[in-house]
Amino acid sequence: MSQVFHDIEKKIIASLKENPLQTPETLEKSTELLPDQIRRGIEWLKLKNLAIVDESKSSTLSLGKNGLDSFENGLPERRLLNLVKNGPRKLFDLQKQLGFIFGPAMGLCRKNNWIETSSDEIILKTIPSILPGEKTLQQIGSGKLSKGELDIADLTDLLKRPDFIVEDIVKSKKISLTNSAKSIDVSNISGAIDVEAKVPELFVARTHPLKDTIDEIREIFVTLGFSEIFGNMTQSSFWNFDALFTPQDHPARELQDTFFLDNISAKKIGTAEQIRQVSDSHKKNWRYQWDINEARKMVLRTHTTCVTIKHLAENKPDEARIFSLGRVFRNEKVSYKHLVEFNQIEGIVVGKDANLRNLMGIQREFYKRIGITKIKFWPTFFPYTEPSLQTMVYNEKLGKWIELFGMGIFRPEVTKPLGITKPVLAWGGGIERIAMLKYDLDDVREFYNNNLGWLRSNTKCQ
Amino acid sequence: MPVIELSYSRLQKLIGKVSKKQISDSLPFLGLDIESEDKDLVRIEYSPNRPDYSTDYGIALGLQGLLGIKIGSVKLTIKKSNNYHITVKPTVSKIRPFVTGIIAKNGKIDDKTIKQLMTMQEDLHFGIGRKRKKSSIGIHDLDKISFPLIYTTTTKNHKFIPLNSEKELSISKILSDTETGKDYGSLLGQSSQVPIIVDANKNTVSFPPIINAAITTVTTKTKNLFVEVTGINKDDAEDMLSVVATVLQSAGFTLEHIQISGVKNSSPKLQEKKMIVDPSLINQTLGLNLNTTKIITSLKKSRLTALSKGKKIICSIPAYRFDIFGPMDLVEEVALGYGIQNFEPTISPSQTIGQTNPLSLQLKSLDQTMIGLGFLEALNSSLSSKRVLYDMTNRDSKKIISVLDSKSQEHTILRDSILPGLIENLSRNIHESYPQKMFETGSIFNLDNPISEKTNLAVISAHKDANFTEIKSVLQTVLKIGFGIQIETKTVIDSSFKNGHCANIIFNKNIIGIIGEIDSKIIDNYKIRVPVVGFEISLSDSIFKSLKN
Repeated sequence: MSQVFHDIEKKIIASLKENPLQTPETLEKSTELLPDQIRRGIEWLKLKNLAIVDESKSSTLSLGKNGLDSFENGLPERRLLNLVKNGPRKLFDLQKQLGFIFGPAMGLCRKNNWIETSSDEIILKTIPSILPGEKTLQQIGSGKLSKGELDIADLTDLLKRPDFIVEDIVKSKKISLTNSAKSIDVSNISGAIDVEAKVPELFVARTHPLKDTIDEIREIFVTLGFSEIFGNMTQSSFWNFDALFTPQDHPARELQDTFFLDNISAKKIGTAEQIRQVSDSHKKNWRYQWDINEARKMVLRTHTTCVTIKHLAENKPDEARIFSLGRVFRNEKVSYKHLVEFNQIEGIVVGKDANLRNLMGIQREFYKRIGITKIKFWPTFFPYTEPSLQTMVYNEKLGKWIELFGMGIFRPEVTKPLGITKPVLAWGGGIERIAMLKYDLDDVREFYNNNLGWLRSNTKCQ
Repeated sequence: MPVIELSYSRLQKLIGKVSKKQISDSLPFLGLDIESEDKDLVRIEYSPNRPDYSTDYGIALGLQGLLGIKIGSVKLTIKKSNNYHITVKPTVSKIRPFVTGIIAKNGKIDDKTIKQLMTMQEDLHFGIGRKRKKSSIGIHDLDKISFPLIYTTTTKNHKFIPLNSEKELSISKILSDTETGKDYGSLLGQSSQVPIIVDANKNTVSFPPIINAAITTVTTKTKNLFVEVTGINKDDAEDMLSVVATVLQSAGFTLEHIQISGVKNSSPKLQEKKMIVDPSLINQTLGLNLNTTKIITSLKKSRLTALSKGKKIICSIPAYRFDIFGPMDLVEEVALGYGIQNFEPTISPSQTIGQTNPLSLQLKSLDQTMIGLGFLEALNSSLSSKRVLYDMTNRDSKKIISVLDSKSQEHTILRDSILPGLIENLSRNIHESYPQKMFETGSIFNLDNPISEKTNLAVISAHKDANFTEIKSVLQTVLKIGFGIQIETKTVIDSSFKNGHCANIIFNKNIIGIIGEIDSKIIDNYKIRVPVVGFEISLSDSIFKSLKN
């Protein structure tokens, strides 16, 4: 491989050729690179055996609290000598004037024989022009210095004094070029970089894959002329079941299939007329005593059909194309193919000429747009539609037919009591199933695991 | 949906000249889903509205029609007879007031037939019998019974040898010790009296709806059958009987009448009912243009009888087809007889203009903004658990909304907040690289006459340098860029957040959410090793509404 250098490396080599021994700090200045870039650049050059990094420790000195005080006002002994140089002074006055430094100052002056005491007075004997430590104090005070630059004897005196001198140990790096690096002509290197090298992995922020499928399906229906409506996930049994001709003793209305909310009933479930008509239809056709309290029980909707039927009952349109998309619930054991909560799309067409072949046509068009062309229809049964069909679609990957959307025409027993006079075509189905095919998933739970490994790695454009 | 197991070779015998492939190709077009196949055996799922499909006899009748081998309705031939009589005593009225029945003679019963009859009985009990509450069946060996019978009540001390037992048991013992007694005993209520059918020799025949007597057990040696159906509604009981009668006749039995009398009870007629249907309703609903002859043929292929009368069609519907309520059901019968595979889908031009709901559009813009800020979208269930919502996050669980009898421990309570779920998500990702930044929009639920559903946004960020300033910047930016609104944050104490690092989010003087650094105890609970910051705001009342004004 040809020798290729990153821009950072080139700048560092150039600078070191001019100034052979540098610290990272001086390199920062000479190359105008950021500290992190310098750090990386040195690391790369070291790995390529082009740079030598010499790590050493050094200490620097600075003034502590008492040292700073002396730097500004003079050493304690200097201040005492200055006070007595114009004649003897009372010990008591000096003590008051100098405060806590009086003690150490007296001790030093007496030890060095610069003063003498007579009864309660202090008298100067001699005053040196420079006291020990004064020179070093000045040097340190005017800038941090390393030990090597100072008079060690003079420093030692100061180091003994509390809080005078602070010693910092600093690790430093000295960077130089190896011999082979010295011969590199930076200006002659081509602009090439190591394009084959590995680069760091990035994680993209993105919408959830299931949300992408939902959005895609929503858009298809909007372009087919359908308008989206919303409804609550918590519904009275009246709209989830009764209005859809599901008798109150139907097995689907048992706790083992449907989530009933603990001890929560709706006070108002519909208009008096709606309630009367629906209950009459049940009594007549299913032959049992319809109980309004059963209809009041709140459930987690088992389909979005409750939202559309409510919309139809409230608006009674003669012509409409409407869809509803959202979460529905089933009291199931969670497994790789069942969730307790999943998304459903459900759509309806209202119109005087709406017929079964139109309903099949809309399905075929929808499947075509999500890339499924091999479809067939089979008869099936739903309590609230007649006739009822289901779509079977052929999955190439699995090599078999799988069941997708169910559909039918709302029964007169459903529409009549709610004052809906025109035929209503309805269809619906789970979205996770479609998304599983799209993302090649075997386990439907993956959609709700929020497993970053999967979310971060999933292909976005499918 | 109920499932039944059939044998292709048996079906072939019942149907007539037909190949195995013709059968398997046709089954779906009767509305029967093939669950699995294994050589001669096939498992089929059928709709609960067609209990006649609970035996291969019933399915054979349907296939004969669809394949054009035998068409038109199945007529029940019931011989008049004075030999069989059941008297109903008034005491049953308050417990299980109705009994009906039929005699079936000279049939051949092999193991497979017994198996078919038993599954039929079970499916009828479960489906239209509503777990024996509405009606239940007993099938007995006629030759072990001496007519006339009495349908009456007895005390719980009464003893007889029940099915599958070798010794006499009292009614009390049957109710407390046998499986069916335990399962269905509650249907009899609190009364000290229980219904019973006894024969002329005072032998117990049946203790409905719980169990038959052992003496009348049907075996492969049985030739003649007595079928009784008891129930709380006469019509429902006769509906059930009509299915059994049709199946037994198809199985080769000769049917004979039973005379039933006493307290509103009468002999079953099991008659066809007539229904008039307008061909224009059929063609309009199906989008076809079939002439009357074609419609009549289609109805006949669905095993109904039809005649044209003027512009209308009169249809005769056998008693066992009680799933047919009105003309719309006949439309479906025409569709099936015509063959769903023969329908060509069409697209009718739309007269309407499609529209995405404004809420969806707003949420989509919000998603885009969050993604622009580097956050990944998460999705959690609305139905969560006490552990995730309250225990792990130290939140107050006084006003929970729970569901009854959930089969999954993880899904028992409707969430009143999204953030706890996102924190739990972090705990499942501690091995993934940081920073981990996620958001979720979705519904939250609160008790409010009865329940209010609102849309919230929750955002979370976890990495070694996560702090309040970072997450407040995100909050501020998403609201400014997303909605052009400005918020303030005011110190508050909240059990989910670190003290002094938590604030209410204020917009237009209202608290619309909470923001802060997640309390270290919660992070420890979940064994997350980096600081976590997050916020949650309500979009429904404040932010989305402010857009409209």
